[in-house]
Amino acid sequence: MRRNQGCNHLDHHLARRQFLAGAAGGAVGLGLPGSPATAEKIKGQHKRVLQIYLQGGVSQLESWDPKPGTEHGGPFRAIPTSVPGMHISELLPYTAKQMHLLSIVRSINLKTNDHRQGRLFMEKGRRAGEYPYVGSIASKYLAPANSELPGYIHISTRGLTDSTSAFLGAQHGQLKFEGVKPPKNLAVPKGLDETADARRVQLRDQFNQQFRVGRPKSLTESFDASFQQAAKLMGRKAFFEKAPDPKDLERYGKHDFGRNCLLARALLENDATCVKVTHHGYDSHAENFNFHLEQLGEFDKTFAMLIDDLHERGLLDSTLVMVYSEFGRTPKINVRYGRDHWGSAWSIALGGCGIQPGAVIGKTNEKGTAVADREVDAGHLFHTYLQALGIDSTNDHDIAGRSIPIGDPTAQPIKELLS
Amino acid sequence: MSLRSIQCLVSCLAILLAGSVSAHSAEIPLHQQIDSLIGVGKTQFEKTASAPADDATFLRRVTLDLTGTIPTSDEVRVFLADESTEKRTQLIDRLLASPEHARRMQYVFDTMLMERRPDKHVPAVEWRNYLRTSFLNNKPWDVLVREILSVDGTDKKTRPAVKFLLDRELKSELVTRDLGRLFLGRDLECAQCHNHPNVDDYLQRHYHGLSAFLNRSYLFKDPKTKKTSIGEKAEGLVSFTSVFTQEEGKTAPRMLDLPEIVDPKDAKADYKVKPAKNVRSVPVYSRRLQLANAMTHPTNIAFRQNIANRLWAMMMGRGFVEPLDMWHADNPPSHPKLLDLLTKELQKNGYNMRLILRELALSKTYQRSSQISAGAEIAKEIDFGVGQLKPLSPEQLAWSMMQATGLTVKTLKSLKAKQVKADPKNGAKKTEDALWQEEALHAALNKNVTAFITTFGFVGAQSSRFDASADQALFLRNGPLVQSWLVPSGDNLTARLKKLKTSSEIAEELYLSVFSRLPEKKETENVTAYLKDNQKQSQQALQQLVWAALSSDEFRFNH
Repeated sequence: MRRNQGCNHLDHHLARRQFLAGAAGGAVGLGLPGSPATAEKIKGQHKRVLQIYLQGGVSQLESWDPKPGTEHGGPFRAIPTSVPGMHISELLPYTAKQMHLLSIVRSINLKTNDHRQGRLFMEKGRRAGEYPYVGSIASKYLAPANSELPGYIHISTRGLTDSTSAFLGAQHGQLKFEGVKPPKNLAVPKGLDETADARRVQLRDQFNQQFRVGRPKSLTESFDASFQQAAKLMGRKAFFEKAPDPKDLERYGKHDFGRNCLLARALLENDATCVKVTHHGYDSHAENFNFHLEQLGEFDKTFAMLIDDLHERGLLDSTLVMVYSEFGRTPKINVRYGRDHWGSAWSIALGGCGIQPGAVIGKTNEKGTAVADREVDAGHLFHTYLQALGIDSTNDHDIAGRSIPIGDPTAQPIKELLS
Repeated sequence: MSLRSIQCLVSCLAILLAGSVSAHSAEIPLHQQIDSLIGVGKTQFEKTASAPADDATFLRRVTLDLTGTIPTSDEVRVFLADESTEKRTQLIDRLLASPEHARRMQYVFDTMLMERRPDKHVPAVEWRNYLRTSFLNNKPWDVLVREILSVDGTDKKTRPAVKFLLDRELKSELVTRDLGRLFLGRDLECAQCHNHPNVDDYLQRHYHGLSAFLNRSYLFKDPKTKKTSIGEKAEGLVSFTSVFTQEEGKTAPRMLDLPEIVDPKDAKADYKVKPAKNVRSVPVYSRRLQLANAMTHPTNIAFRQNIANRLWAMMMGRGFVEPLDMWHADNPPSHPKLLDLLTKELQKNGYNMRLILRELALSKTYQRSSQISAGAEIAKEIDFGVGQLKPLSPEQLAWSMMQATGLTVKTLKSLKAKQVKADPKNGAKKTEDALWQEEALHAALNKNVTAFITTFGFVGAQSSRFDASADQALFLRNGPLVQSWLVPSGDNLTARLKKLKTSSEIAEELYLSVFSRLPEKKETENVTAYLKDNQKQSQQALQQLVWAALSSDEFRFNH
């Protein structure tokens, strides 16, 4: 069963897919969304990723690495967590109770203070170049062959489209949801009933049969796969449009982030492989403290509920959870009570699949102005995410005869964080 | 001997050599030389190579490649009926001379050079217009690139050309990488991570040499006009707008393996316009202006190889070097002699791209069928013995769908009528002008093209590989835009089909309009069977018949 737990050797990728298609086929069938029973069914069948992206750069000092009472510490206190000795900001009281399920890396130095560069580095594990995002890699190597959902779904309320899949191909690119709105064009055009729709699709197939004779298959198959994927999404229209349970909404919060996280839970329970939820608005150049009070107030309870649910439903063991930004914020408080871009000494939280829970990796100095111990960058984090998922990040992508190292060959995973 | 005289000597030699090569082959047209080189060294080539494509396939293929859309059903009829033995050559010449060809080249080179990045300093409309005008005049590639790399953005007339540098904000790592990738076919930055230690060393030197051309340049925002242009310092180690690193500043500019271009000793730190607050400095000796010269200099063979490879890929579906920006020792060209031939022809003909495209289109290699005969083994892509499937670009797909459904013809008709009404005296004459027609149609329908680009295009390095995602399929399958083109209106395709009496007439008009060919017997039978099954809902059945053809494999690819 080892291969079922993740892809160790990419050369055997094909074999793994065939295995999954054959052996796990029955179990990957879809049940009703949202019920723990469904989660039970697919539990352990395939590994997943939940990314919570705090866009704009969350302040490490107001979240994972508080420095109360120091020069740059700001007005908030640190509170104890469910892990003895681990303290986080008082802005995260609910999350504090879940920290036994999570770990913190406090020693990240990206050497960039640019939004885009920081974001791309965090997603690709490389400073530059056309490389796939973590989500696209998860889609390629972890998604079951017969998955009913695209491998990489990004729930966000704003624009910004990136080419996330690089050489892995568009089918592994992120499918963007504008908030809880389902993908566009899910409904059959007006005036067509199901029978007529089926007939025209059949007719399309008929045209294709003729064309394929004597031609290489790879291109047409890829085109056809996109239509099959589209049909699957159309079949799940009711699922996407289903209003969330009022009780759940009460727990998660009725704001966009709450709704988006509920959708993320439902997607993960229904076999999605990587779900990314973006929480916008952390770029607090002015009024950093008010902003974080408000933003993290929204984040904290929702995130804690989501972690609790994933844990309770047995999904956390197979779901890697990442809470990250493009960088942190300057220790120095500027004249507008803001904190600026700061890639040199900041933190993220990780948990779930393959991650040692309750750990604190690295530290910053007393005032939080520099990394004091165990400095890492996004290259190390990238190896860590993938190895936690059972993907050998030191291996190569084998794409059309080119071998491309999956992770940056000059970086290594944070071994002590891997369980 | 000074550096410049060495360069001159080398280039003079190169010209002499090029001249002597072409003297031998003067009588043999380039397209024939291509065909004789393509199979060299492959004993099985003729056996595995496919037959020439039929007239209809050739018409569709070359119309798409050179003008970015499929032919109308009328154009297919006329071409099939034409009995002239020269009709393929005449077609190629007609297409190359059309304003649609300039638009197609604008799309290809805009996508290649800007990679669909969002606008920063120079509006895309102006840049695209600059490109299109250049292609209308068949501006040589070296002239175009010299303009793009040497303008500073201060002159309104030449400002559009500065988009390449300005919209990358002169960021060293971005500009250097893209200079290498797009103009030299070498992804120097990417290859820095290569495991091979020798290749690594070799390329790092190239990378820093290239970046040194621009390490003194910086973005200057005019406090009055708020427009950004390029300023330059006279010294190497400049810290300004946080763009450059000291290490790069220490390297003298150089183009790959060509000698370093050392700053003239006497020009040290001299300015035409001295740096000051809110002043755009201009040095006496500009490293940046050396870039345009060095890039397009005859000694820089990589510059020619790159464009030869890219033009080949545009027509044939893949480059000799593929990916197009990954030329290195471990990924050599598949047909070095052929690439060499094209490279030399480019130089000999003053970088006349239209001439090269013409010869490529005339070659047997280009005109081979993409279908192999029954039972034969599918040949390797890299052999170019069989026509490749080329996925339509977002622009090609949009224009082809509008052409197939009859939207373009219908729209042009109403645009002409409007013009005649607005200008009774000269309107009629004006609307006969091909350039007027192209521009009017483009202005009227461009918004649809944008919708396709949003769905099918992507920002970042482009690849010749085919990708298809679920949201694209949903757009084709259920999107209101494509559906709206299926509703009968004026004399669009569905309206024409509706008027036809027999199902075989319907099949013929459908196939000519959408697939640019006549249906085979079996295909007519299939259409007949479908229509018979759906008699009750005849209009909807016709609309979805057109839809099924539009969203098929045969339509999605240039084959």
